Amino acid sequence: MNWTCEQTEARLSEYLDGLFQPAEQTAFNHHVNTCERCAPLVAAVARTLGSLYALEPVEAPAELESAILTATLGAPNWRNLRRWLKSLQSPRFVYSLASMAATIVVILAASGFSFRKPKLADLAPATIYRKTNSAAHLAYGHAVKVVSDLRVVYEIQTRLNENDQNPSTREQSIPKNSPDKQPGRTDNTNPSAPKQQNRADELGRNLRVLALECPFLSGSIGERRTQ
Amino acid sequence: MRRHSRRIFNICYRFTGNRTESQDLSQDVFLRVYRTLGSYRSAHGGFATWMTSVTRNLLIDHYRRTKRDRVTDSLDDKMPVVENKESAGRRPDEQALLGELSGQVQSALTRLSPELREAVILRDLQQLEYSEIQQVLAVPEGTVKSRINRGRIELARILQQMGVRPS
Repeated sequence: MNWTCEQTEARLSEYLDGLFQPAEQTAFNHHVNTCERCAPLVAAVARTLGSLYALEPVEAPAELESAILTATLGAPNWRNLRRWLKSLQSPRFVYSLASMAATIVVILAASGFSFRKPKLADLAPATIYRKTNSAAHLAYGHAVKVVSDLRVVYEIQTRLNENDQNPSTREQSIPKNSPDKQPGRTDNTNPSAPKQQNRADELGRNLRVLALECPFLSGSIGERRTQ
Repeated sequence: MRRHSRRIFNICYRFTGNRTESQDLSQDVFLRVYRTLGSYRSAHGGFATWMTSVTRNLLIDHYRRTKRDRVTDSLDDKMPVVENKESAGRRPDEQALLGELSGQVQSALTRLSPELREAVILRDLQQLEYSEIQQVLAVPEGTVKSRINRGRIELARILQQMGVRPS
């Protein structure tokens, strides 16, 4: 393989980077070792490359990082504020804030605070406590009443159910009609209803008192009772 | 961020040879990256490559903007550059020689044309692969190889003209 000076100059970096094929490397070496023009060039470029590799990284200024942060994110105070505001976007903080707001709203609503016509006096802790306490007691009383009513309803339902399950007791409690009974006339038997029984007892008691007070009427009363 | 800022600063410094300008340019790079972060697509290459591409574009813009009023031998160029702490283990005479050579190489770099300079910086100082340089410069691979080759040869000639003979 023939190698020329133009090829040496054009492909010098490939040689320095070790990218030659073996045949190219042999031809290059043979040419450079025998060429007075190319040998110094290759040596000079190789030394230059060595000096470039020997260059060490320059230490950046100490204030560069803070200057970059200021240029991108703003001044330190604003940067801290922005970082703090960004931390507020966490879900945990939002949930806490929402639950706290809900609690405050519930307490204010319980204390009778008017959101349509808010008054500063209504926000006083003593006022909130007094109104909340009153509302709590009212709510407790209301709840007790409701529970009591429910208990009465439950008992009534229980008794009705018992009556439905035991019809015999129910029939015994209902008075039977006498077949020859006539309206407006008693047959000296027990009245058919408790109200009538009470009334009959009262009449009997009155008649006994009247017989004791007025003995002259005892005959007619006795005759009347025997009829 | 420290790693990126150091790398970007080094690219800017090797390109401009000026610490103050490099610091301002590094800030501009991060500001642009911060604003255009939404346009970054991982399919177009790694984040570092994309950031290097942003840096290169800003450097070229800066070069064009300051072409007229550029002063080649600024005071800042002559100021000693604080090298990495890794060089602290060398003897004082070695350190002085390296510091001198480093300054001369840096001076030679800034004399290269911007196209050749950026190619040499990315390849020989940032150790990027040809494919990565191709992405950063947005040119074909053949052009990348050609620029790197011409840049190295040109740099060697400049150093020879300066009377510098690296050992």
